Amino acid sequence: MQISKVSALLFSSILIVFFTSCVKDVDFEQAENITLTPTIASSILFSNSEASRFSDNGMELETVTDTVPDITILKDQFVNDNLIRAELVFEAANTINRTFGLQVDFLNEDDELEHTFSFFANPSSNGNEVITNYTEIFEDDSLEALKFTSKLIITLSLLPSNDGSMLNENSEGNIGLKSKGIFYFNVEL
Amino acid sequence: MKRHTLYTLALFLALTLSSFSQNKQLLFGFTDIPQSVLINPSTQLENDWFVGFPLLSQLHANVGLSGVSAFDLFADDGKDFNSKLQDVVFRMEATDFYTATQQVEIFSGGFSKGSSFERDSYFSFGIYLESDVIVYHPKDYLVLAYEGNANNIGRPFDIGDLNVSAEMLSVFHFGFSKKVNEKLTLGARAKIYSSIFNVNSTNNRGVFITEEGENNLLKHTFILDLNVSTSGLKSLLNDENTNATNDTQELVKRVLLGGNLGLGLDVGMTYQVSDQVQFEASLQDFGFINHTKDLETYDIKGNFVFDGINPVFPEVGDGQTAEEYYEEISENFEELFDTEAEAEKYTTLRPIKFNTALRYAFGKNRSRDCNCLADDDGYINAVGVQLYAINRPKAPQMALTAFYYRRILRGLRAKVTYTMDSFSYTNVGLGMSAHLGPLNFYILADNLLEYQNLAKAQSASLQLGLNLVFGRGQ
Repeated sequence: MQISKVSALLFSSILIVFFTSCVKDVDFEQAENITLTPTIASSILFSNSEASRFSDNGMELETVTDTVPDITILKDQFVNDNLIRAELVFEAANTINRTFGLQVDFLNEDDELEHTFSFFANPSSNGNEVITNYTEIFEDDSLEALKFTSKLIITLSLLPSNDGSMLNENSEGNIGLKSKGIFYFNVEL
Repeated sequence: MKRHTLYTLALFLALTLSSFSQNKQLLFGFTDIPQSVLINPSTQLENDWFVGFPLLSQLHANVGLSGVSAFDLFADDGKDFNSKLQDVVFRMEATDFYTATQQVEIFSGGFSKGSSFERDSYFSFGIYLESDVIVYHPKDYLVLAYEGNANNIGRPFDIGDLNVSAEMLSVFHFGFSKKVNEKLTLGARAKIYSSIFNVNSTNNRGVFITEEGENNLLKHTFILDLNVSTSGLKSLLNDENTNATNDTQELVKRVLLGGNLGLGLDVGMTYQVSDQVQFEASLQDFGFINHTKDLETYDIKGNFVFDGINPVFPEVGDGQTAEEYYEEISENFEELFDTEAEAEKYTTLRPIKFNTALRYAFGKNRSRDCNCLADDDGYINAVGVQLYAINRPKAPQMALTAFYYRRILRGLRAKVTYTMDSFSYTNVGLGMSAHLGPLNFYILADNLLEYQNLAKAQSASLQLGLNLVFGRGQ
C-alpha cells in the first residue's frame, strides 16, 4: 500500500521532530535561590507643638511623654526572619529659642528597656526655622533589640534657657517633629 | 491544601495534557478532520457519520508566555539568576501574560442528513473538557516586592496589575449545519457548561503610592478595590476526608453537569463566493457561567491615607494620645485589609473567540495512476488567510495566519501555516490528517521552528486525535 507507506513516513518524521525536540542549555535549578531585597519606607510619628503650650500656670513643662503600646509588627515572624537593617530618620524644625531633647525608648513585652536613643533640636535665635536631622541606625545588636520591641516611649524635654527666661502663654514659635522608618529586607524564597 | 486533592487535580490536568492552543489555526478549515466543525458550526463535513475515539478524538494543549521565554530566565550562562529574574520582571509589561489551554474530547460524533446527492445538513455533538488559565504579569506587585517603596517615592503602584483567571469546565454541545442555498451555509452549536472550578480576579482597581508628605516626611495613600472569586475550590481544598476517591467522584460528578452551570452558543457561516473562493466566519463561546455553588470570595475595598502617628504629647497637643491614635490607625488598617471569606454569587463570561478565513482553491486532481475511485473531483490545493481573535480580560488577543493546504494523496492531507501573534512573528505550523479505511488520525503542531530548543519558544501548541469516519466522499 503506497498510501500507508507515505503516511507512515510523513508521520514518523513529524514524531521524530517531537521526540528530538529538546530543552537545551538551561538550568532550572537556578530558581532555587531567589532573593528579594525590598526597602520599605514608612511614616512613623509627627507632631507640632506651640511654644505657648509649654507654659502651665506660669511654670514650664520640663518634659512631655507619650507611649505607643502593643506594637506587633516588629515581632512578626516575617520581620524577624528577614529584616537586616533599619533606620529611623527624624527631622526637627524649631522656631523657638530653646533647645529641645527628644528621647525614644524601646521596651519589650515585659516593659524592659531594649534600646534607647536621643538627640537635641537646636534653638532658633531669630525665629527662623532651624532644622535638625538625626538618623538612628539599627544593625546587629540594636537590630535584635528592635525586633523585641513592643512599646515605644517618646519623651520631649525642654532644656533650661541660658538666660533663665521662661516660655509663657504669649511665647511664639513652635517645635515640629517628623519621622520615617526605612526598613531593609533580604527575603530568600 | 491536601496533597491527594492536588494529585487528583493534577491527574485531571494530565488527562487533558495534550496540545491545543486556543488558536487552532491548523484545525480551522481542515475539514478532513471532523473536529474542525467545533471551530465553525457551519462546516459541512464530507462524511456520512463519524465517531471519535473516547478520550482520544481530540487532545489539545497550548502554552504561551508573551514578552519572555524560559531561555531568557533559565539559560545556563553563569549570570546571576536574581539579576536575570529582576531584568525579566522589569522588562515585561503588565499587559504581558502567561496562558495555558488544554482540551480533551470525552466523546464526539456526527452525521449528515439528506439524500446522498443532496446532503444539506450535518449534526454534530459531544462532550469535552477544557482548562484555561491566563495570568497577566503582576508587574507593580513584583516591583514592590523587589524594590519596596523606599526608592519609589512618587511612583504609583497599580493594584489592577493583579489579573488572573483560571477555570476547568466540561462542555456538552450539539451543533447543526444547514446549507441554505448553493452558496450559503449556516450553523449553530448550543453548549451547556459545567464548571469544575473557577478562579477569577480580573476587575481589580486602585493604587498604592508613597509621596513626600506635608504633615510628615512621607504620605502613603491606599485606594483599593480588589476582588477574588472562586467556585468549586472550597470543598476540594477544605474537606476533612483524606480519601482521594471522594474527590475523584466529586470531580466526575461535576464533569457530568454537577458543577456550576452555564449556557453558550457558537454561530458560523460559510459562503462559497465562487467555485474556487470561499469565505467563512464564526463566533465561539458566546456564553456565561453562573457561579452559585461552593463559593469562596474575597473583597478588599476602601481608601486610606496614612502619614504617621499624630498628635503625640497630649499635654502640649490636641486631646488624642499617641496610643489612641495608634489604635485608630490599626483598626483602619484591619478594616481595610479585612479579607474574611464570603460566598457571593458571581457570573463569568466565557472568552469569546472569533475566526474568519478567506481561501482560494486551485489545481484539479489529475491522478496519474488513474484512481478510478477518485475520492472527488475537487481542487487539491488551497491557500488563504485566517484571522483569529479572543476576548481576554485586559485586551483581545489576535493572530493572523497564512496557510497552504494540500491533498497529498487520497488518504493524506496536509496544512502548513505561518502565524503572527502576541508571542511571535515566526510561528510555522504543520498539520497532517491521514485516512486509512475508516480510521482517521491527525496531528497538528505549531512553532515547529522552536522545537530544536523549546526553552526559547514563547508558545507551543500540539493537537492530535483519532476518529472513525464513514462514508468519506465515497
